[in-house]
Amino acid sequence: MKKAFKELGHYLDVTIQVIKMAFLTIVEYPANIAGWMISNPIQFIVGFATIKFVVESFGEINGWNYGQLAFLYGLSVMSHALSMIFFVQGWFMGYFVLEGDFDRYLTRPMSVLYQFFFTNINIFGITDLIPGILVFVYGCIKCAVQVTPFFVLQVLVMLIGATLIRGGIYIFLGSTSFYTKSTTDFGMYTQEIMDKTTLYPISMYPESLQFILTYLIPIGWVSFYPVSSLLGIENSVLNGMVVPFVTLLVGLLVITLSGLFFKAGLKKYESAGN
Amino acid sequence: MIDVVNLCKDYTLKRKEPGLKGAFKGLVNPGIEKIHAVADLSFHIDAGEIVGFIGPNGAGKSTTIKMMSGILTPSSGSVLINGADITKHRKEVVRNIGVVFGQRTQLNWDLRLGESFELLKHIYQIDQKDYDRTIDELDSILGIKEIINQPVRQMSLGQRVKGDLVASMLHSPKVLFLDEPTIGLDVSSKYALRKFIKEINKLRQTTVILTTHDLGDIQELCERLIIINHGVMMEDGNLSEIVDRIAPYKTLVVEFYDEKAPEANFCEMIEHSGNIAKYKFMKKDTTAADIIADLSKRQTIKDVSIEEAGIDDIIKIAYGH
Ligand SMILES: Nc1ncnc2c1ncn2[C@@H]1O[C@H](COP(=O)(O)OP(=O)(O)OP(=O)(O)O)[C@@H](O)[C@H]1O
Ligand SMILES: [Mg+2]
Repeated sequence: MKKAFKELGHYLDVTIQVIKMAFLTIVEYPANIAGWMISNPIQFIVGFATIKFVVESFGEINGWNYGQLAFLYGLSVMSHALSMIFFVQGWFMGYFVLEGDFDRYLTRPMSVLYQFFFTNINIFGITDLIPGILVFVYGCIKCAVQVTPFFVLQVLVMLIGATLIRGGIYIFLGSTSFYTKSTTDFGMYTQEIMDKTTLYPISMYPESLQFILTYLIPIGWVSFYPVSSLLGIENSVLNGMVVPFVTLLVGLLVITLSGLFFKAGLKKYESAGN
Repeated sequence: MIDVVNLCKDYTLKRKEPGLKGAFKGLVNPGIEKIHAVADLSFHIDAGEIVGFIGPNGAGKSTTIKMMSGILTPSSGSVLINGADITKHRKEVVRNIGVVFGQRTQLNWDLRLGESFELLKHIYQIDQKDYDRTIDELDSILGIKEIINQPVRQMSLGQRVKGDLVASMLHSPKVLFLDEPTIGLDVSSKYALRKFIKEINKLRQTTVILTTHDLGDIQELCERLIIINHGVMMEDGNLSEIVDRIAPYKTLVVEFYDEKAPEANFCEMIEHSGNIAKYKFMKKDTTAADIIADLSKRQTIKDVSIEEAGIDDIIKIAYGH
């Protein structure tokens, strides 16, 4: 027990150091962040404007009105942003495998996966967080949600869960490189699929696809189910206040399983000759 | 300190045949080939040794170093450092080791050297006091402080290797693995690096395992040599003993006053051109003095010199050329 706390302290200390260093790079390269600040949010605001257009033409999407869609969209973009900050490195895992870049993490006394993600924190991901928050707040106002402490807790818990699900999926896809000894640029495809399944209610898709997104590739838990619960919109799988916590559970499960998959893959890691 | 026990490593290689037919074949039946890079290596290294780990290209040196430093999982066999298996207890055991690859940096290209050090300080949980002392000590040997604010990306090879060396020593490891640390370095950087290795070995009793293709490194640094080829142990022992055993001869070079060169007892004339002749003799059979005495009875000698079998001859023979 004492040892576990000590270890947790160690990881916290390194995390703080890494975040400190990440913020220093912002101070050092302000032009960079300014560029991202402009280009990244534009992408999402345009996406959101599209929804507005669709809703205005058809009234609603699958029973979700404009405010509810904004709420869903905002939360999804927020967990996307968090996964971009902490887990985007997963997109490039294949290159690390093939080029032997895991060497340096393996010779250091910490978890390889932790070092892989946290020594490569992408602080510029916060530029995605801002449009997410704006659209989410807009949705909250439109839906007239009651902001209670429990509501805030639910939102935070589901955001953590959703980020873990996204991260877990990246880890899983990246880890396949250990087995195939090749690399695929899955990042962009995955992003597209994630956008299509988390920015809009999945109830608009055929039932078979909904089944897959609920039980096989649990993307439904990233935004659709917890947001339905927060807004009190009924679905056929799981309802009630507990759903955001289920999202966290699913997240922990996904990241644990993909972590094990990674660990098994790492045993097959062959570094690189010169 | 280090025990390597029946260590083996196979690499899997996807065989790709050229052309469309090959691509199709590969799809149906991915030809997986195994390379036996390291085959049944065993040896023991004591604390405080400097061991030269040598062999021709592709011998399996880097592969062995990577298994000893926790990077690769052995196909079979084990590496024990201070009695603990590095494969099973990687996170604990690597606290005792430092690793430097001359060919590629372990540092982050985008960070300044000092930032990388700072991060390592947290990763290895080094006290500020110990950290400052180590930096000062290493600075006095390598002169690191003048480049500490430079991004690694902008460093020369020599500066980068220095940075890597300091990074590998920050946590005061008991064992240091160096894979071709002197590759590409100029004479003065090489000299600094050798001095560094000698100093940390003397001051901190750091055990050093070093691979190199530079014979100077070996002559300067190593008392013990492990020679491998095709992943198999060829020689393991004291440098001078190996020299005596593999090359138990010397060559006497004699210059005469004319072109006639006589034979002498217990030696063989292996070369003769102009006034100069070379005599090869076994150290156990005779001495250079006896041969000179013998020769001078038959001819007048102008000058003599003795060629010892060098480390390069040893390696040529041990590699089987
Ligand atoms: N990552 C890898 N994947 C597949 N084969 C590899 C890999 N690394 C090394 N090999 C092969 O394993 C064998 C041993 O290589 P290794 O790099 O250990 O040799 P070395 O003794 O370090 O050689 P050098 O002196 O050239 O550095 C070689 O045949 C090499 O082609
Ligand atoms: Mg090598």
